[in-house]
Amino acid sequence: MKIAISYPPIVNQDGQKAMVSQNRNVQFFKEPTYLLPVIHGQAATWLRDIGYDVLWDDGNSQLKTFDNWYLNLITEAPDIIVFESTTPVMKFYWAVANKLKTDLPHCTIIMTGYHSMRKPAETLRESSVDIVLRSNHIDFALQKLIPFIDENTNWRKTCTIEGLVFRRDEHNIFDTGNFKQIEPLDLAPDVDRDLVQWKNYAYENGNFLQTPGTYATSVVRDCMFGKCTFCRYNGPDLTFSMRSVQKSLDEYQRLIEDYGAREIFDDSGVWYRGAEAREFAQGIIDRGLHKKDCYFGFNTRFGYLDEDTISLLAKANFRFILVGLEAADEETLNRLNKGYGPEDSEHNLKLYTKYGLFPHLTIMVGYYWQTRDQLEKTIATVKRFMFEGIARTLQVTLCTPIDFTPYHQECLDEKVLLTDNYDDFDMSKLIVKTPLPHNNYYDAIREMYSIAFHPKFILKQLQFLARFKKKDWQFLFTYGIRAIRRVRQHIFNLTKHQK
Amino acid sequence: MLHKVLAIRNLSTSTYTLRLERNDLLFKAGQCFNLGLKNSGVNREYSIYSGENDSYLEFLIKEIKGGAVSPFIRQSLVGEKINLYGPYGSFIIDPKIINNDQFIFICSGTGIAPFHSFIRSYPNLKYHLINGIRFLSERYDYDKLDITKITTCVSREKWNGFNGRVTSYFRKTTINTKHIFYLCGNQKMIQEVYDLLQRSKVSGNNILTEAFF
Repeated sequence: MKIAISYPPIVNQDGQKAMVSQNRNVQFFKEPTYLLPVIHGQAATWLRDIGYDVLWDDGNSQLKTFDNWYLNLITEAPDIIVFESTTPVMKFYWAVANKLKTDLPHCTIIMTGYHSMRKPAETLRESSVDIVLRSNHIDFALQKLIPFIDENTNWRKTCTIEGLVFRRDEHNIFDTGNFKQIEPLDLAPDVDRDLVQWKNYAYENGNFLQTPGTYATSVVRDCMFGKCTFCRYNGPDLTFSMRSVQKSLDEYQRLIEDYGAREIFDDSGVWYRGAEAREFAQGIIDRGLHKKDCYFGFNTRFGYLDEDTISLLAKANFRFILVGLEAADEETLNRLNKGYGPEDSEHNLKLYTKYGLFPHLTIMVGYYWQTRDQLEKTIATVKRFMFEGIARTLQVTLCTPIDFTPYHQECLDEKVLLTDNYDDFDMSKLIVKTPLPHNNYYDAIREMYSIAFHPKFILKQLQFLARFKKKDWQFLFTYGIRAIRRVRQHIFNLTKHQK
Repeated sequence: MLHKVLAIRNLSTSTYTLRLERNDLLFKAGQCFNLGLKNSGVNREYSIYSGENDSYLEFLIKEIKGGAVSPFIRQSLVGEKINLYGPYGSFIIDPKIINNDQFIFICSGTGIAPFHSFIRSYPNLKYHLINGIRFLSERYDYDKLDITKITTCVSREKWNGFNGRVTSYFRKTTINTKHIFYLCGNQKMIQEVYDLLQRSKVSGNNILTEAFF
């Protein structure tokens, strides 16, 4: 049986590609970054390991046109195709599924992703998709489901594997109930780097300070905290699972020694903290991996890392840490359920930079309640952090309700959503009613991005880098160039909608 | 938000309760809060232990040796202020079913906290609590609970009740698939109990989990 795990190239009218993989919020970019879809990579590896013919079919990272990708897929004629989707591209996926069903009528199409898992009936109604996974543990679900389909020609009548919604026949949809919310992650295999053609993802990724870089098999599935209202890792149907430190360290060692990775980023919603974070950093040092010219990075939350842990991480050659500064005012942080106060961000950032980590801030604007005061406070705080040198880089996005997160649901309940066309949810424009004209939020984004070109900021960066090893200067050249390119693309996306 | 410490009760060498002034804060039984020392910049999540109608907020906390928060909170003095954010989370009981269904609460260690909050908040709740502990001394606040509704599984000390872990208890018990199961505690316990429930044909829709870490 042949299984395709497929990411079709999605190109909009401006010639920009949609970046879908790895649970990200979809955005269209002219010069894309390619993120390795880790959980789907684990699923592919697991299916291959149990004897299936797996086609890793990422049309984006393999630089295919849509037509090229489609023709190749038809030629391969897989028995099963697995897609990953999210709100802004749902309509696209429904159309592709319908087209594929015409050309490959016997192929079973499985839809994964947070949008469809929360509205499975919608996808079955709007398209010819056969099965929707209600599970975000794609690898665990598929390694049970695929053999069942393979071994049972009447699977539609007999399958009771949890976490699925599928067509029993033309008229009936069957729901097998909620999926298992917590899985022992050590059972899932590491991503097979050759199977997923890891080098396709090793260079064009804004999170890498040096290349070739790669994503580690995530140590945490979903998020330990899991309460932020705008985030898809939140809901009564989710909890979190954690991988063992030693298993993850083994993978890092292989990635460095066998594949020559020079940057490893863990894209878990939130990485280890406390005892596990310290054990991991100490493990890197004990294995001598901190001396192999490889940087390490991860996502974290303010409030999670204490000084001892930060100091140890820095010794272990951790550099890039991505942290959300969704707003700088207390009301917004409370409404987003962030779990910390405005003063905590500054305290944490000072510690990160004291030990030489490179904090990258992810900022959002355009909440449906965001007042001028709140917006200006965020801008002023971000400027101060960047000019003081306690944050190194940033990205700013429009808060867009997606995938029926609590924030999305809140926007629906409050009747502040301006559109119900899923195509509009691509983060290129505000789609909620706001207290200020939308242009004010777009201007705020431009203002924050313009910090990167301010002489005061550049001087601070140079002073910071002068304290470190010479090779850290590559940060200015490689990361800086990519950052500027990213700024340009964000500005382009905003400008095209600004009146 | 800063809340004054009202009391700290040391229950064992590893575990204590922290009682804070409530300041009219509203929450639903079973939710969690983030707690941290003032100006420390670090906090951790703890499930509420007190009830919705109690005049105070209380948390059951396991002290983690070398931890960034729990050892320091334990040293707090009455009157000191603790940073508290929340409430958060959806590990709660749906009001629509609160008076009808039979609930089975399964926990290990300080995972009893949200269930203690349920029991204090909803006096007419139909429940059975299965509490996994290592030693008898970890039967915290049993004098305030209806022990006819509790099965205690003790894994590291012999007694005349059930000897063994929660999972061993479940292997020897008939499971009613109509019940609603709430699981709270360490990941391993949750994974194992979840498997046992599923093998007994309990629908995933009737199982809610909250993993502690």
